[in-house]
Amino acid sequence: MAKEKEETPQVSRRSTRYSLSNSNTNNGIETEKLNESCKTTLDNLLFGQEPISLDDLLSCFPGRRVQILEVLRHLGPINSSMPPMFIYGSASTGKTSVVLQIFRHLNRPFVYVSCLTCYSPRILFESILNQLLLHKKNAANGYSSAKKCEKPSDFINLIREALINVIDRLNGNSGKMSTSKSKGVQVNGRMIYLIFDSFELVREWDKSSTILPFLFGLADNLKMPKVGMIFISNTSPNMYHSSTGYIDPVPVYFPEYTEEELRQIFMINQVNRKLYSSFLDIVLRPFCRVTRRVDELSTAISMLFKKYCEPLSDVGVVPNEEMKRKLFSHLQPHIAPSLNEIFRVASQSSLESEANQETRRKGSGRKSVSCGDFDEIDFHMSTSAKYLLISAFLASRNPATLDASFFDSTGGSDGRKRKRKSSEKTTGKKEAAEQELLMKGPGTFALERLLAIFQCITSVGEDLLDEEDEVDDGLRVGGGSNGLMSDVLLQLSSLCNGNFIVKGASCPLEGSTRYRSTVSEELALKVPKVMDDKEAIGKVIKIDTFVAIVEDLKLGLYSIYNQHMLEQVGGLFLVIL
Amino acid sequence: MGRENRSAEEALNLLRSRLCNPNFIFKPLSDSPDSNYSKLKFLVSSSITEACNNSLLLLGPRGSGKIAVLELVLSDLLLEYPDTLSVIKLNGLLHSDDNCAFKEIARQLCMENQLLFSKMASFDDNSQFMIAMLRECGLAHKTIIFVLDEFDLFAQGKQRLLYSLLDAMQSVTSQAVVIGVSCRLDADQLLEKRVRSRFSHRKLLFLPPSMEDLQRLMEHVLSLPVESSLPHDYTVEFNGKLKNILADERFKEIINTYLNSDSTVNCLLRFLFRAVSYMDLESGFLSLENFKTALSNIQRQPKQECIKDCSILELYILVSMKRLEVKEQNSYNFNSMMKEYKTIHDSFKTSDYYAKNVCLRAFEHLLKRELICFTDNRGYNQSIEFRAVKLLVSSVELHQGLKSYRSCPSILLKLMEH
Repeated sequence: MAKEKEETPQVSRRSTRYSLSNSNTNNGIETEKLNESCKTTLDNLLFGQEPISLDDLLSCFPGRRVQILEVLRHLGPINSSMPPMFIYGSASTGKTSVVLQIFRHLNRPFVYVSCLTCYSPRILFESILNQLLLHKKNAANGYSSAKKCEKPSDFINLIREALINVIDRLNGNSGKMSTSKSKGVQVNGRMIYLIFDSFELVREWDKSSTILPFLFGLADNLKMPKVGMIFISNTSPNMYHSSTGYIDPVPVYFPEYTEEELRQIFMINQVNRKLYSSFLDIVLRPFCRVTRRVDELSTAISMLFKKYCEPLSDVGVVPNEEMKRKLFSHLQPHIAPSLNEIFRVASQSSLESEANQETRRKGSGRKSVSCGDFDEIDFHMSTSAKYLLISAFLASRNPATLDASFFDSTGGSDGRKRKRKSSEKTTGKKEAAEQELLMKGPGTFALERLLAIFQCITSVGEDLLDEEDEVDDGLRVGGGSNGLMSDVLLQLSSLCNGNFIVKGASCPLEGSTRYRSTVSEELALKVPKVMDDKEAIGKVIKIDTFVAIVEDLKLGLYSIYNQHMLEQVGGLFLVIL
Repeated sequence: MGRENRSAEEALNLLRSRLCNPNFIFKPLSDSPDSNYSKLKFLVSSSITEACNNSLLLLGPRGSGKIAVLELVLSDLLLEYPDTLSVIKLNGLLHSDDNCAFKEIARQLCMENQLLFSKMASFDDNSQFMIAMLRECGLAHKTIIFVLDEFDLFAQGKQRLLYSLLDAMQSVTSQAVVIGVSCRLDADQLLEKRVRSRFSHRKLLFLPPSMEDLQRLMEHVLSLPVESSLPHDYTVEFNGKLKNILADERFKEIINTYLNSDSTVNCLLRFLFRAVSYMDLESGFLSLENFKTALSNIQRQPKQECIKDCSILELYILVSMKRLEVKEQNSYNFNSMMKEYKTIHDSFKTSDYYAKNVCLRAFEHLLKRELICFTDNRGYNQSIEFRAVKLLVSSVELHQGLKSYRSCPSILLKLMEH
């Protein structure tokens, strides 16, 4: 029983995205097998699943044949030493999966550490030692490591000791094992391999200038022919800088998949291959122009495939030419919008809304589909937070000097006219300002300014409500009353936590913290839209103010607001009128 | 057939283990009397026999076999003078901190002399222990050899370790040799005055071997021993074929192109290892083809590969940034790049015009690929769109990459040529 508990995390630890998706079905059987074969603890250093044959290995990874063979050649026959190997290639090209599956195929012992999870030297060292010493963190030992080790100088002594120990046991083991060959899984060979994944992250560490050459030179330092080192990295070896250099490990390159290889990858595990291949004919080419990363493509494509199958009553059907054409014309309007959408995971609320949107969409026809569900924010926000977000956005995007003209109803128009004249005269100046805005991004503002704008906006809201004689149903945000101020500050801090507003460095003169809104124009425009009808944007921002902003847009000061957005704003404006 | 295969595998294993064993490699290079091996051995053994102190530096580029030769010398001397020699090894990467270094020295001294090492001992304790041990060993006519790998790193900071080591060697009672190993040729210039004046300034320079030496080395490493468990006729045939390859002009050309960039021994070994690992186990012999593939696989062009990995959209972004640079816009960010991208689209009506967030994602990919990077670390709290960026590929590289890209839009090539 205890062993079972030990083994199950083992499987998950060694499984990458690839093996997780693949081994779900037969996981149960395999863990059972493992428990039977788990006689010696050295097995913990193996991959932990039934070894696969070379043919299986090659067929698992379409387009990685050359790379797999190259890595296998470098690892060489059993018990043969090797210089350090450096595997590199961009994200999602199967580096980690291939290496781990190769070790499953070879069934040789290895230690796998990822510099992503082991984010500091201490954790990295202790994780390696724990694995080598076959130490498991559990409640009994208070989840502590086998050895405390922070400095490389301690680490080298400890790891040498541990490696000698393991290699001795491997030597004894293989002698013993050869007599009783009936066991299912057994350790192959007397080499032990250290695999460092996500090695590029080490460059960001505090003491990277010494840690990096140290890890690269670990093999030289240990001088143990029975230890192999494998580095897996996103970036090529020439991106590792060091003042006095180091011995380059032997590089192995994993290129990005080509379109044809991607097709083969997506065809794996498909039930209705004919249907899926006709689907890929349409979809894969346009998507490959944007990205060739398997992880991003698979999320985007799986959503589209659902769409593709919508008209079909039976998913198992083999499509003929006519049906293909029909399905194509059904899917075509969806391709372009989904290309322009970053590949996102549907959140809970949008999943829910999808159900009720379905009915609406069918009625309204094709056109609304393209923009329908992107116009809403798919998270909840309190009303005062929304007001606050808008005021932060305004404070960040507008210079403080324009505040008076925007929010003061008396002095507003004069200021604007003057401004227009000057800007018409000097187009060069305007361009410079434009350029500056592009470069500088949203500006910072003091808390006082934010609160002032907030007050302006909300008080207008109240005024309007009074004018229109609507029932003030206990407006959520008290415009003038000081009692609610603390509530607003609370909202502000939660917006800061949500990264909508960023706390910048404090101003050297005033000493107070300055804020900056990180919200994009698109989102800022969505915020008023999703407020319910009573709080439409016209009531939020005083009409005067709004005119001022739209005027400025026309002046071209905000030419980053593209034409599309201008229309949106104008449209809203008309609605209000 | 099965027997053939097995002997081929055995031969492969032998070659691989040789290539990973520096002692085997440097043995034949150290025969001649004016080799570094002989000089080093003479220096160290004379200071052992004459019971005096000495210090020297081994300098040379990485991979030129400084440590390997030193190891050879030390193992020989340990055989010659088994009882009167103890070796303390330190590495600048590990022990550049003085505290750490003294602790390690104390630990190794305790190990050598079967003493109990206390982890809790302070810096002072350890340094006094070391000096006391030096005196004791001097009285017992035992020589302690300190090997300081990555010597330049010990010269950082206050150089207390170097000072106390070299200072202890000024006394007649002690008997020690300090050997510094560094790939910085100016390592002795890094020393403080008080340390430099106590240093002997003996230097041994490790130069890359000549072409003839390398030729001899390759033959020595790759040919199979006649008297071994391998079948005799297989060995003879293997060695015969190897001779043919080594004499081949094409092979010499391959080796020359490879060694043009870096001609140290270690570099050559990596290449040979790669070639040997491509050995065909069916036939069991090395071929010229093996060396060719090894050359193409070991000499990589990472930037070109990176550009080949990019998607079309990412190429558009790179070209837009290139155009901004040509316009001498001194700093630009994602937003200005988007503007350029839009003007390209407007003037050429390309089919690849994507929304801003998609481009931003592609932009992030480029950052990850390290084809572009932020110009400064300022503005961490700014969002990515607004931070200034720069290209990490030259326009020549980019142009070359685009030309070799399989289905590069012709418009991009046209834009690059202007």
